[in-house]
Amino acid sequence: MSISRRTFLKSAAAGAAVSAFGFDAAPAYAQAKTLKIARTSETRSTCPYCSVSCGVIIHTLGDRAKNAIPQVVHVEGDPDHPINRGTLCPKGASLQQDILNDRRLLKPQVRRPGSDRWEDIEWDRAVDEIARRVKKTRDATFVEKDARGRTVNRCEGIAWTGGCTDTNELNYLVVKTMRSLGVVYLENQARV
Amino acid sequence: MRDSWDDRIRRAETLSGEGGAAEAMLAFFVRLLRIQKDIYDSLRNRRLTGEIAADATPEMQLAPGLLTMTVSTGPPALRERAERLQSNAPFEEIALPFWHKPSDHDFFGKVLVQPYLERLAAQRVRPRYRDHLRGERRCPFCGGAPQLSILEEHAAALESGGRQLQCANCLSPWTYRRVVCVHCGEEDEHQLGYYRSEEFPHLRIDSCETCRHYLKSIDLGKLGLAVPIVDEMAGVALDAWAVERGYEKIELNLAGM
Repeated sequence: MSISRRTFLKSAAAGAAVSAFGFDAAPAYAQAKTLKIARTSETRSTCPYCSVSCGVIIHTLGDRAKNAIPQVVHVEGDPDHPINRGTLCPKGASLQQDILNDRRLLKPQVRRPGSDRWEDIEWDRAVDEIARRVKKTRDATFVEKDARGRTVNRCEGIAWTGGCTDTNELNYLVVKTMRSLGVVYLENQARV
Repeated sequence: MRDSWDDRIRRAETLSGEGGAAEAMLAFFVRLLRIQKDIYDSLRNRRLTGEIAADATPEMQLAPGLLTMTVSTGPPALRERAERLQSNAPFEEIALPFWHKPSDHDFFGKVLVQPYLERLAAQRVRPRYRDHLRGERRCPFCGGAPQLSILEEHAAALESGGRQLQCANCLSPWTYRRVVCVHCGEEDEHQLGYYRSEEFPHLRIDSCETCRHYLKSIDLGKLGLAVPIVDEMAGVALDAWAVERGYEKIELNLAGM
């Protein structure tokens, strides 16, 4: 054909839009002007939930404008990842809800003894209260030796319950912290 | 996955009947697909050698329907060339140059060779006496460039959601990684952009800022009825949108878009 790709572009720019084979492309260019186009990007990442480390692809909506906040719109298993080949467990499949969730707590809350509701609490105050109660409870319930005189160094007055969206990294720190306190009632829910 | 010529014809008829910016192109494509189907069918009971000159059937040798149809219903540029070819020896002039050096600007060569290469692929007979480019971004069977990308339906199999590329020349699909530019191999996800429009929910433009090339993806998870090579053409408005923004298509389709 005598019409090159460059000619095609020039023709399009001049308004006499024809395809490289001479088809009338004007309707296509007219429709193109009316299209609502959304740009997404695909980011390969690793599921944070357990140590299996399944590959995920995170779809983010946003035109990369400086004042636009990218929005995660979809998370799917990475079909090219050798561990999961596109599959995800139910927790991994709901990963988008972990990233975007209007029920997510954005500040610490406390429910006082005898109360039927949760109250907001400042971070500093929350940390202070937790530290004080941990110290008090641990001191009161620490078991250094068992009934047969064996050293056990257990803290039986504290238990830890994790949540299903706790990440692998958080759970690592939880185990390190709780074991250093002697906590044995430890449940991190690091499973489906 | 592989769709039949009948699937393609039916889908093109349906989409052409729906109107839209690609209506005229699809109407022409329906006639083109019927001719290609005849060529494909003419090769059914032949023991193919992989050498096009030896395997050519009368349908390919004379290409009568193709040239007549183009003269009567094609766009002016193609009509002019078809008229010139009608008075010469078409097969040598049309098919052999494309066979030896495929180009997405060689309309008649591509139309004639596509069904032959697809038949070779179906019979697993390697094309002979032609050099073809190799590499993971080239068709492993014939070395063709990718015409489009197909996103598999997630529910189709346990391990799915992968991408296949469809060869522009033999129409064979082959598996290729996601989040990689199909043209230059760019893997930096910040350089790769995906553009969708509500008007074509199962189509998207996969673009690369590094090489400024693009191709269209057909998401079968969004529309399982889609026949990739036909639906790709139906979305020419997306091509126009991409070209206006300076992107160059990896391989033009048979509408020249």
